Amino acid sequence: MSRSSTPFAPLLSDSALDEFVRRTAPYSLKSTERLFFDQLENCVCVRIFMRRKDLLSEPVKHIKINGKVTVDQLVQQFSNSGSFGAGRLSVACDIYEKMIREQECTIFLGLAGAVVPAGMRSLIADLIREGLINVVVSTGANMVHDAIEALGGHHYKGHWLMNDEVLYKHHVYRIYDVLVPEEDFIKLDLKLTGLYDEIADENKGKTLSSRAFAWELGKRLDDPNSILRAAYESNVPVFLPAVRDSELGYVYYLHASRRGFKDTLVVDAFKDVPEIIGICRRSPINGMIIIGGGVPRNTIQSAALATKSGLDYAVVITMDRPETGGLSGSTLEETISWGKVKGNADKVMVFADAMIVFPIMAASVLDRLGKGFKRIPPKHLGKFE
Amino acid sequence: MKDRSEEKQKFCGNCGSHNAYDYPEQVFCTMRFLKNKEPIVKTLWHCEDWHLNSQECQCIKDATRKEEK
Repeated sequence: MSRSSTPFAPLLSDSALDEFVRRTAPYSLKSTERLFFDQLENCVCVRIFMRRKDLLSEPVKHIKINGKVTVDQLVQQFSNSGSFGAGRLSVACDIYEKMIREQECTIFLGLAGAVVPAGMRSLIADLIREGLINVVVSTGANMVHDAIEALGGHHYKGHWLMNDEVLYKHHVYRIYDVLVPEEDFIKLDLKLTGLYDEIADENKGKTLSSRAFAWELGKRLDDPNSILRAAYESNVPVFLPAVRDSELGYVYYLHASRRGFKDTLVVDAFKDVPEIIGICRRSPINGMIIIGGGVPRNTIQSAALATKSGLDYAVVITMDRPETGGLSGSTLEETISWGKVKGNADKVMVFADAMIVFPIMAASVLDRLGKGFKRIPPKHLGKFE
Repeated sequence: MKDRSEEKQKFCGNCGSHNAYDYPEQVFCTMRFLKNKEPIVKTLWHCEDWHLNSQECQCIKDATRKEEK
């Protein structure tokens, strides 16, 4: 949680803390030890400056469900209890609301993990259309599943204990407890191969960024619930930094093989780099919501780093752990050390299933904004094509 | 043993190059697609390029059952 969201921090200003460190830390202290000492700031506050009654100023208010409650009312109860995952979720809702109310804030959504096949597709498309997401950075796979549904395919409810050999024999793929018929992938391959041909012919050897490629796909998908289509219609860039690591890569193989690897579609993810850095640089305030982590999270964070300013808001929803050193579980404090998130950013990590957390966040914040609320996308984003 | 003898029959559904297209009656042949030939073929049909590289799937059984109905 951010410093401003801890109850202790307001009791000690930065200058007071600096003064304390100056007086108490011996000059011979090694820099690493000093760094560690600084990180203990809250503990220092607690031990030296806080009175016992200050520590016990805010009682846990127990959750009470009296009849009907709205999602936001429940989140407010989570805030009142302030505990564990519930407390973190309520902070995440507060931060998302702040991002939205900051007119100049560019809201990045990082998508990793199979949330689109699991049922998050329409919600994300709606948030894009409402201007509540301004930039999407996604795995290729999530956009593949978006396109599968846009082309008439479906995802089905299954079970995590299904016999996978039986599924294999019936040409059915499993994503935990979601099933996808093989023919929906095949129909996607066929359709997209044709679209790749069309895009390649139109661009005549011109190299596209993954953002421009996603825009070309969105232009050609006729489904209002599609993320790619909503992004195309709403001038929201979709970056696919790991585009080849999905069915989109295999479709390239089909498209290029049929052409003898001549006059093929050319997508270069390096072309994304100046584009996304440019968005961050033009934006006076940058915020990110991360579902999962991985390449999409680092793509956003690295863009913020390149602008030398770091992110102002950060919400990460993950179930990964930091001990392995992988980015998906790395703490936002660790991210500060790189300069990717500002030290005073409003930030929180929610350690829970994004399929539960993100729809609750969206419902709670939409309730707070009210029906008449309209967010105009920040002007500095410019026009994408 | 029965499965093995079925696999040896020359059906597209027994060939290693197929995927489901309209299960169980039609399959998609990647090899034909790459050669710019019509890739969607009947499961119980076979072409001159047929080769046995079994996928251990249910295509043939289910397609046969459907045809018999």
